[in-house]
Amino acid sequence: MTSTLPAVTAATVPAQGRPVPTDRPAGRAEPPVRLRSSRPDLLLCGALLTVILVVQGWNIADYPALSDDEGTYLAQAWAVQQGRGLAHYTYWYDHPPLGWIQIALLGWIPSALSPGSMTVATMRVAMLLISGVSAVLVYVLGRRLSLPRWAAGLGTALLGLSPLAVVLSREIFLDNIAVMWLLLAFCLAASPSRHLWHHFGAGLAAAAGVLTKETMLVVLPALFVTMWAHSHRDTRKFALTGAVTACALIGMSYPLFALLKGELFPGAGHVSLWDGITYQMSRPGSGFLLDRGSGSYGVLHSWLYYDRVLPLGGLAGALLLLLTRRWSGTARALTGPSLAVAILALVALRPNGYLPAMYVIGALPFLALVLAGGLASVGHAVLRRRRTEGEKRYVTGGRYAAAAVLVLAAGAYVVPHWYDGDRTAVTADANKPYRQASHWLGTKVADPKDTRVLVDDALWLDLVHAGYRPGLGAVWFYKADLDPAVTRTMPHGWRDIDYVVASPTVRRDAKDLPNVRAAIQHSVPVATFGTGEDRIEIRRIQAVGGAR
Amino acid sequence: MTDRRALRGIWGDLLLTSVFIAAVSLALFWMAAFTLWWQMHAWRTPEVLAATRFGRPDGGEQLSFSLLLPARHEQAVLDHTIQRLLESTHTDFEIIVIVGHDDPETTQVAEKAAARDARVRVVVDTHEKKNKPKAMNTALPHCRGDVVGVFDAEDQVHPELLAHVDHAFRTTGADVVQGGVQLINFHSSWYSLRNCLEYFFWFRSRLHLHAQKGFIPLGGNTVFVRTEVLREADGWDPDCLAEDCDLGVRLSSVGKKVVVAYDSDMVTREETPGSLMSLLKQRTRWNQGFLQVYRKKDWRELPGLGQRLLARYTLMTPFMQAFSGVVIPLNAAVALFLDVPVGVAFLTFLPLVTAVVTFVFEVVGLHDFGVQYGLRVRLAHYVKLIVGGPFYQVLLAGAAIRAVWREQRGRNDWELTSHVGAHLTAAEPIREDVPA
Repeated sequence: MTSTLPAVTAATVPAQGRPVPTDRPAGRAEPPVRLRSSRPDLLLCGALLTVILVVQGWNIADYPALSDDEGTYLAQAWAVQQGRGLAHYTYWYDHPPLGWIQIALLGWIPSALSPGSMTVATMRVAMLLISGVSAVLVYVLGRRLSLPRWAAGLGTALLGLSPLAVVLSREIFLDNIAVMWLLLAFCLAASPSRHLWHHFGAGLAAAAGVLTKETMLVVLPALFVTMWAHSHRDTRKFALTGAVTACALIGMSYPLFALLKGELFPGAGHVSLWDGITYQMSRPGSGFLLDRGSGSYGVLHSWLYYDRVLPLGGLAGALLLLLTRRWSGTARALTGPSLAVAILALVALRPNGYLPAMYVIGALPFLALVLAGGLASVGHAVLRRRRTEGEKRYVTGGRYAAAAVLVLAAGAYVVPHWYDGDRTAVTADANKPYRQASHWLGTKVADPKDTRVLVDDALWLDLVHAGYRPGLGAVWFYKADLDPAVTRTMPHGWRDIDYVVASPTVRRDAKDLPNVRAAIQHSVPVATFGTGEDRIEIRRIQAVGGAR
Repeated sequence: MTDRRALRGIWGDLLLTSVFIAAVSLALFWMAAFTLWWQMHAWRTPEVLAATRFGRPDGGEQLSFSLLLPARHEQAVLDHTIQRLLESTHTDFEIIVIVGHDDPETTQVAEKAAARDARVRVVVDTHEKKNKPKAMNTALPHCRGDVVGVFDAEDQVHPELLAHVDHAFRTTGADVVQGGVQLINFHSSWYSLRNCLEYFFWFRSRLHLHAQKGFIPLGGNTVFVRTEVLREADGWDPDCLAEDCDLGVRLSSVGKKVVVAYDSDMVTREETPGSLMSLLKQRTRWNQGFLQVYRKKDWRELPGLGQRLLARYTLMTPFMQAFSGVVIPLNAAVALFLDVPVGVAFLTFLPLVTAVVTFVFEVVGLHDFGVQYGLRVRLAHYVKLIVGGPFYQVLLAGAAIRAVWREQRGRNDWELTSHVGAHLTAAEPIREDVPA
């Protein structure tokens, strides 16, 4: 036991900095003292943040193409803002609602100033805030996990500048927000002061992450491991129990919410949390990830199309770190993120699970950290391993030469790829057809208030702002087949519709949606924007013999 | 028209109910959250935890101690306690046993001990109405040591405690050192389990926060005060039912330095009251004492606003506890059975959330208690802890209400707690004149 002095009473409260028996893994670089007051850290992190915000923010509205999911979440956020409940259609427990409640909060002031700003392209700016915070958190986490400054910076840059990350973090996806909460939880779990309430806060942040996007649940074991490693033997049981309790209690608020609404269990005439979970768990699988013909393989390739370095390099880094835990201090310090990557990879490798396109978002920061950590580990091995005081000069020179070669080789591979990817991201315009379609529907239709349009979610808010009735005038196209509250208003099926906006999403999904398919079949394009697969057609329903 | 008016009336009522429920819920939440925050003080960081322990003595003993041992109808345990105190490793101390002039049995035991060992002296208290502060004030002029320590007649004191206290005084320049007191017999009954845990959290954790913040209600024994400081403060308040708390409040209000230290092998071990009724009486006395200290307003001299708020809150805690114990279930019931908006219903669960967190930390605390004292805590004890929680709340609420009632009626005589160790009919507490 260390000899310590008791707490004292005094007019000024004495600092409680006392030596404690340490049980940190030995052989680690000193963890940073206080990032807030460390000038080099602030400068590096600030510079990186600026670059990341410029790259991610420039051209954010026009690239990548507006996604249907973005429209869904933003529309539901709009419904929250408007006080229409958790969604403008019946909320059916598809996801916990915390994600779009946060989007609603982010968009509150902009939409109060200018109601028309609640459209997907405009509100993407809000995601800049999220990715900015995430970038800083990755840096902080890297430093708290004892990475050297350059490696923490590298991790931040990997996350902020990888073309894959740039594309995905621009989009209004719940995963982006959820992963920010998880990063916060990891940062708090690795708090250098090992404060009970920091760990408690980590539990709260983790719960917020899970309630934002439920897939974050699988990362929690990695968080727990991190917290275990960063807590002190004497206070560990309180810290960990506190964190688990906090997380569980906040997590329970979701079923509690369903219970209070009488929608916990299935029943006639109402949706239920149970049904929502059942639906998510039984979504048709997209096949095995490595099976060439499967949908999952396609998703994997859509990621690798943008960037191979971060996903594959990160995965390799995670494996390297997990395998070298015995010898490498860096590997031990990064157990949490490595484990997160490993778990997420295993989940993705389920033989016939459903793999959504945004799944990788949850892994990106951890991939970035373990890749940076792996490189730090390699760097350490090359420059410092078995190095003695009296090492010959040419050996030392050789070490630095080897390191330089590695850096140059990596740079030669990565920089051109990323330059191309990021140049596309800041210059390409993928959303011109959407803007044109939106403009057409806002100006060329005489009486929006009494016009019914089947439209995909990405365009829906544009129509609402243009004067179409939300819900039954501007209709999310699949609701015409799947939501009884909508089909009830369409006794004559497609004949009760005026227009259908056939975007790529609508055309793709129409094959499973009879009403939408019929609407497309019985309509002619009155305006077409773009060409080929990505074109958007505005099709007017042809009334048969004027029967409507 | 009437329909609409009725509807509006219902809406108005609903709104009123909602606002009321929300306000009560938030108030309860913050109360519970603060209490929890303070209760967990020692485990905040490993550094804080390390700082709650005694420093290891360096061998140099410079202070002399006068140990006060007020004893009343405690002839059965007194001798053992004196013997154990005499086993102390410290080289310079005296034991002053204070007995009543109307208590020949205890006096006899004390005189015998004094005849055996020159370090033991006997002081006879001749007050007509007797209580602990009067007894100790009687003994104060007879103290020859640099430091006055207080123990109870049934205490088991660790032989090395004095050496540690000596070290703490010298290294910190403290005016007061409060050592740990711990009830040990957690297995005796459901309430003794909770009672033990209360002591554990109080002495292990919360008291250190008070020391750090500069406002501390001292404990009744294992408390050591520099003799000149004690005389300057005119000793204990003979009319206060919580003279220990009062002394702490008065000393910290004039800026005296208080040090708290807790080592599980160095605590003074005690027993829980032998029956639910005596626990209720003990708690009533404390509550009433706290209330008296609050009304004495010495705490208003504290320099900091935060200190004054902490004082106000701490001295009022028993009553808040009583209040929340009653209101939490009521509030939850209202939320569940009245048709309030979902958001408001959510708020009503906030106090419940803090209650659950508190419960969880209590379970962990019980585990830690078992580890610290090498006691085997079984599953049944954890179950008892949880199940007994609400009933203990009822007990606390009862004691608080009783205390307010007694204080209003001006009844401030002592209802002493009887100790099972002193298993004698004559040991019936004095003046059991409280209508049950």
